[in-house]
Amino acid sequence: MDWQVIIANFPLLMSGLVKSLQLTVVSALFSFPLGCLIAIGRLSHRRWLSGASTAFVNVLRSNPLILILFWFYFLVPLITGRNVNDLTSIIVAFIVFFAAYFAEIVRSGIQSVGVRQIQAGLSSGLTYAQTMRHIVLPQAIRAMLPALITQCIVVFQGTTVVYVIGYSELLHTAASIAERTVRPVELYVTVAAIYFIVCYSASRIARHFEKGAA
Amino acid sequence: MNQPIIRVENVGLRFDSFVALDDVSLSVNAGQCIVICGPSGSGKSTLLRCINGLERFQKGDVWVDGVSVRGCQDLPKLRRGVGMVFQHFELYPHMTVLENITLAPIKAKGLSRKQAEDLAFHYLDRVGIVDQAQKHPGRLSGGQQQRAAIARALALEPKAMLFDEPTSALDPEMIAEVLYVMRDLARGGMTMLVVTHEMGFAREVADEVVFMDRGRIVEHAPVDEFFSTPRAERTREFLNKILLKL
Repeated sequence: MDWQVIIANFPLLMSGLVKSLQLTVVSALFSFPLGCLIAIGRLSHRRWLSGASTAFVNVLRSNPLILILFWFYFLVPLITGRNVNDLTSIIVAFIVFFAAYFAEIVRSGIQSVGVRQIQAGLSSGLTYAQTMRHIVLPQAIRAMLPALITQCIVVFQGTTVVYVIGYSELLHTAASIAERTVRPVELYVTVAAIYFIVCYSASRIARHFEKGAA
Repeated sequence: MNQPIIRVENVGLRFDSFVALDDVSLSVNAGQCIVICGPSGSGKSTLLRCINGLERFQKGDVWVDGVSVRGCQDLPKLRRGVGMVFQHFELYPHMTVLENITLAPIKAKGLSRKQAEDLAFHYLDRVGIVDQAQKHPGRLSGGQQQRAAIARALALEPKAMLFDEPTSALDPEMIAEVLYVMRDLARGGMTMLVVTHEMGFAREVADEVVFMDRGRIVEHAPVDEFFSTPRAERTREFLNKILLKL
């Protein structure tokens, strides 16, 4: 074992971690609002809207992330007619894929608030959108915070999938260092430790909110 | 004679094969207080929800201050004119009492925060809980919560108030404080439609009493007549049961 290689490459690993985190934050930041819209669509009385939203969720949740990634990697340039950079197609794929999961969390959160609160809001002359925005969603988000944080952990772990198209997030960075220095054991142990620290801390935070809600 | 504030005409509503409302007609004039009673599942609450368009009915129509609910293009505006109070209060647990009351006046009516808060304090004073304004609903007693909910409905300055079993979820000692507020409202000339089993309240405050059973209005009479000489057998049965229980 030679841990010197870790110390020497630590800045490089950290820049990989930062990229992973950026990817996570950007994906979550866009796929959560998109998920909210889809969840509201699923709960809509308009058949075409709830049908389309449900289909979206089911298709996305029944496919592996890596396949969706391939899809967007080849599809986005095809649709837009020009080459987009790798990162754009990755991010679009992440946003769309995880929106389906966020939508399910938001849907159960909204349903936990209950129809009587909606009636109270509507009966006071608020529109449906205002009732959602001011009455239902704030309560729903509080109820689903633990599940949302857990989903963000899944997104963070999911960022490793971009390894296959050579984007230098944490895992890919570690792999190239391992190849260059021929020290795979040290590197993969370190990377595992980093993922553990990030994910475990986040899950502790989720548990904290779970207790707070109870 | 002015037109009634609320006019329900031949309203029919069914959920699949279950008939919730069957040819129901009822008028509430300005300043009137009408009490609706009847066994559970008789359609009382459903009728209230039809009046402010929360429930869609298949037959007949409802007019609120001359505006048809069925043909209404602006339901939020119509609903602002009708305050509603629920059995389980339905205060918003994530907001303070004050925020509960000012939300709709600000967002739906477009009042400034200052105007809305002045209005809120006025009505909180009227229901006797000004000191609770900054608390969250969870910190209040059941009776205080229901009074806050009444203040919330009043802050819209509605033409009529609908009460859906406002005391059924309360402990006995808290029922009195809510009924006191409602009595005060009725005496102040508020137009009220109240679903309740509080026959003492009905006797003292109501102008007319309606008895519903299985989606129909079985009896509708001035209050004295309703209690002294109920015509329908079903009404007598119900009154015996409910009055014996008290």
